[in-house]
Amino acid sequence: MNATYVRIELFRQSRDIGNIMFMVFMPVVMYVLFGNMFGGGGADAGNGNVKFYIMASMAAYGAAVATTSIAGTAATESMLGWGRQIALTPMKPAGFVASKVSVAMIVAAVSAAAVYIIGIATGAQADAPWVWWSSYLIIVLGAGIFALYGMGVGLSFKSETAIGVASSGMVFFAFFGNVFLPLSGTLLEIARFTPMYGYAGLARYPLMEGAMANGRDSTDSLWMLVANLVAWTLIFAGLALWAVRRTRARQ
Amino acid sequence: MSEKTVHRRSAAPATRPETSGKALELRGVRKTFHTAQGPFEAVAGIDLSVGTGEIVAFLGPNGAGKTTSIDMMLGLTAPTSGTVSVFGKSPRAAVEAGEISAVLQTGGLLRDLTVRETVTAIAALHGAKDRIEEVMERTNLGALARRKVSKCSGGEQQRLKFALALLPDPRLLILDEPTAGMDVSARHGFWETMREDALQGRTVLFATHYLEEAQDFAERTVLIGSGRILADGPTTELRGMTGGRTVGATLPADLAIEPALAALKSLPRVTSVQIQGNRVSVTGPESDAAAMMLLTELGAADLEITTPTLETAFMALTEEH
Repeated sequence: MNATYVRIELFRQSRDIGNIMFMVFMPVVMYVLFGNMFGGGGADAGNGNVKFYIMASMAAYGAAVATTSIAGTAATESMLGWGRQIALTPMKPAGFVASKVSVAMIVAAVSAAAVYIIGIATGAQADAPWVWWSSYLIIVLGAGIFALYGMGVGLSFKSETAIGVASSGMVFFAFFGNVFLPLSGTLLEIARFTPMYGYAGLARYPLMEGAMANGRDSTDSLWMLVANLVAWTLIFAGLALWAVRRTRARQ
Repeated sequence: MSEKTVHRRSAAPATRPETSGKALELRGVRKTFHTAQGPFEAVAGIDLSVGTGEIVAFLGPNGAGKTTSIDMMLGLTAPTSGTVSVFGKSPRAAVEAGEISAVLQTGGLLRDLTVRETVTAIAALHGAKDRIEEVMERTNLGALARRKVSKCSGGEQQRLKFALALLPDPRLLILDEPTAGMDVSARHGFWETMREDALQGRTVLFATHYLEEAQDFAERTVLIGSGRILADGPTTELRGMTGGRTVGATLPADLAIEPALAALKSLPRVTSVQIQGNRVSVTGPESDAAAMMLLTELGAADLEITTPTLETAFMALTEEH
């Protein structure tokens, strides 16, 4: 990994205004809408209030979309032959992946921070500072697995549409990940096995400690959420590795 | 130049004792791709040795196996069999040591970076940020520094790729059809920069399908076709390798045709003399003698000397095997 390379890559990504709007402003807008639309945002929820719950959910969604989208650009770069250019330098493939994931996580950190700042300004509350910090850190670090997903899908399709495909997948993951609105019943049982469920549940764990938003459905245990996250990390890492090997063989 | 004789592929390559002066060595290199239509042998056994300081043209038509061979020299692709060594190391080790570098044929640039950002990013990966100014100046990129790659012309992009290749200050520089898609003046400008640079003791191997580029810039030419080396020798003997030139001229109307043709046929190494009306064409590697005779002794007019196209040369060479 190389600091100058990461810096230039970061500048490059930040010039794509459309993408930045998508990755930073959209989750903010979604939080403002969902957090204030129904009223009752000030009501208690776990170790804070409902607005904190929605803020953490939207920040997690935004961060995951950001890493997916940034890592997916590896596909476009690969098509442009940039990977071959990089292969003429001492940087190894692992260094390339690490640089890409770093850039993705920095953008995710900015995206989540934007949501959290608006959250602070508009009445999201938690009982203790550690609830804020721990949920924020889980969001930023956990978003890394969606960088693997973005890179895997991007390189598998190897076309301009790949990023679109990966991002649309995120909408389904978010819905089934209990991110947009609280699921219940059979839908919730299915949702527990989907990629974003563990990540979103962990992001809200400091607040909810696994309890459901409606207070009726069974509480998620910490190990179950972690197991979901680890399992999907392994699956996405496998997909990314397979995709990288495949593009190499094709040369 | 280390070799003075043209040796064809059928002849065993001259084996010389291992010296430290060898920049590039390929031995029995083959590369087979598995395609939907079955296995395809892009490189079918290449032996090649390039000494330090040589400028070698890798000449062949599209699909001859030039890019695949170059990919193996750079460690971008592993050979199916055979070995490649660069200054006695594996290609990847030589890349990491900054000893070999290349201008790749197509792509290789990010359109939304500026010229300076591109140079800086690659320089950082080489740990060669101190060479940025020097390289940008030498490749005349100063005025373009703040321009987006997407706004650069084909020639400018090629110059940028050349700059990237110079960043590690490589001892061996490989150029894969560096002037493809350039107009004539851009092509000349590119080679001028190249030549200035190559004179500083770098070893250069460039792939091209322009016969003139090989003739103008390389001391040695390796002809490649269908994944094999067809001929390898000094470029000055390229005419011999490719079957010579054709001299065409119009004979004066009052000249006796038969004795004139006999005289032309008697010239050394003439391979064919043809006549159509009173337009005569003489083919052979030594066009000067034929031209001289036509213009002086025979008083011919409208003299025209043409070099064979690469395609005809290749057809001739492949038929021999």
